[in-house]
Amino acid sequence: MSDADIVLNAERVGMTFEAANAPPVTAIADIGFQVHRGEVVAIVGPSGCGKTTLFNIIAGLLEPTGGRVEVNGEPVHSATGHVGYMLQKDLLLPWRTVIDNVIIGLQVRNTPRKQAEAIAHELIESYGLKGFEHSYPSELSGGMRQRVAFMRTLAFSPDVILLDEPFSALDSQTRLVLQSDVLRIIRERQCSVVLVTHDVGEAITMADRIVVITSRPGRVKSIHPVNIAPEQRHPLKIRKLPEFTALYETIWSELGIDLAA
Amino acid sequence: MANAEIVGRMPEQTADRKPAKASQRSISAPWFAQGKILFLQLLLIGGFLLLWEVAIRAEWIKVYLYGQPTGIWRELVKGLTSGTLLRDTWVTGKESILGFLIGSIAGSAAGLLLWLSPTAAAVLRPLLIALNGLPKIALAPLIVVWFGVGIESKIAVAAIITFIVAMITSYAGTQEIDGDYLKMLKALGASRLQMFRMVIVPGSLPWIASAFRLNIGFAMIGAVVGEYISADQGLGYQIYYAGTLYNLNAVWGGILALMLLAVLLDSAVGWVERRMKWR
Ligand SMILES: Nc1ncnc2c1ncn2[C@@H]1O[C@H](COP(=O)(O)OP(=O)(O)OP(=O)(O)O)[C@@H](O)[C@H]1O
Ligand SMILES: [Mg+2]
Repeated sequence: MSDADIVLNAERVGMTFEAANAPPVTAIADIGFQVHRGEVVAIVGPSGCGKTTLFNIIAGLLEPTGGRVEVNGEPVHSATGHVGYMLQKDLLLPWRTVIDNVIIGLQVRNTPRKQAEAIAHELIESYGLKGFEHSYPSELSGGMRQRVAFMRTLAFSPDVILLDEPFSALDSQTRLVLQSDVLRIIRERQCSVVLVTHDVGEAITMADRIVVITSRPGRVKSIHPVNIAPEQRHPLKIRKLPEFTALYETIWSELGIDLAA
Repeated sequence: MANAEIVGRMPEQTADRKPAKASQRSISAPWFAQGKILFLQLLLIGGFLLLWEVAIRAEWIKVYLYGQPTGIWRELVKGLTSGTLLRDTWVTGKESILGFLIGSIAGSAAGLLLWLSPTAAAVLRPLLIALNGLPKIALAPLIVVWFGVGIESKIAVAAIITFIVAMITSYAGTQEIDGDYLKMLKALGASRLQMFRMVIVPGSLPWIASAFRLNIGFAMIGAVVGEYISADQGLGYQIYYAGTLYNLNAVWGGILALMLLAVLLDSAVGWVERRMKWR
């Protein structure tokens, strides 16, 4: 892949939180990685290593204390709206119906309502929530809610999608279904995605490359390409491949060393 | 004046409910149980009124200190036939409703707008805390001095009390909203005004609705206390005036009319409130 294909470029990004009556906390230090167009990059690391902090910086919600982030070659300076950011919580607005939740990103951009609804209808139909357009979030299951949150992220076609542990609150069955659905959708639409997860198996199933972060302060420990063909990436079948097992053990031992240290 | 009628006719009514209860035996249990509760309630009120009347007639207690059920009934009939009872209820009702609407709407808007300006919120915080702790009715004499003896001063008392309650409650509502909703919207590129429209206003509606529910009571307190202080009409004035003359029957009559007004206004606001709540 050429440099022209780079949609997200993080260079030596660092974040130190200063507190009035506590010693400063360095959450991340010198984190650098790239995401190419249509690529899925997973970030794994121990709890508290600064993954959410990194996402907040990429999304423009937080100004880093060091380094820089570029999306499509443009620096991110406390500007927002250039990436789709999906948090662990679905954050659906309880007073809005499914369709009104899906179009909120388009409303923020002042897209005409008719056009926004057409986009939302297409998403809702192709991703299995037809018939629920006018339901309220409280009437949906956890998996359905997370699907709606994902559609809200897709609806305004962001250049980069950030997924922060999107499946961690779901039961294991729903989780597997959602993993393969989301994987199919991001391949179909050729989205560029950064996925944070604690689940190494999930990272291997979904990602083209995996970035392993050390415990606090978070630094890039290693980057592993995942050489598994798309048609073999079935959440259950993939686990039987020797490549999967080998990578799984490598990454676990890298995380394990950090845990022991 | 349904209340007044029930109170006045209580002894006979309990008497002719007894056969009704007997015939309900054949009906299903919940109905029977409901009828039984109603019967016991009527029996309690009827018994109480009867005991009260007997105590007055036997001169165990003094009528000028307690009033008398038949006397209250006569006052109510007199008030109704001369039209003064209806007129005074209308005056107090008008003061309460106008004060309630002005105070609650303006107060809710002010509380929401405080979210838009954190500087203004920070500057006003000590004042809000002080006003929140203050028994707001203590402001009534001041307001009556400023706005005069007319109906305006009662509207003003009700409006100012309900304004404070609505502002504090709706501002508290904006602060209760999960910050992650705002983070999500900000990541989508929303401006502060868009966050206000899309999250803050709809998210605070349940708090605003409960402020409205509380406020109808506060508005009535404001109007009645305003009338106690200085007025020439209204239920509060009639109650106060009758009290100074030791006409306890008229005091009770006024209180019953206030109760009925309170029930009416409260159920009207409750009806609107149910429409305002999402979920
Ligand atoms: N606003 C803040 N002020 C001070 N410290 C913070 C702040 N935000 C995060 N931190 C600290 O930075 C570190 C990284 O937090 P972060 O939430 O980014 O970790 P994470 O990798 O997402 O963790 P998890 O896997 O549990 O979600 C933590 O130690 C946290 O306490
Ligand atoms: Mg996190």
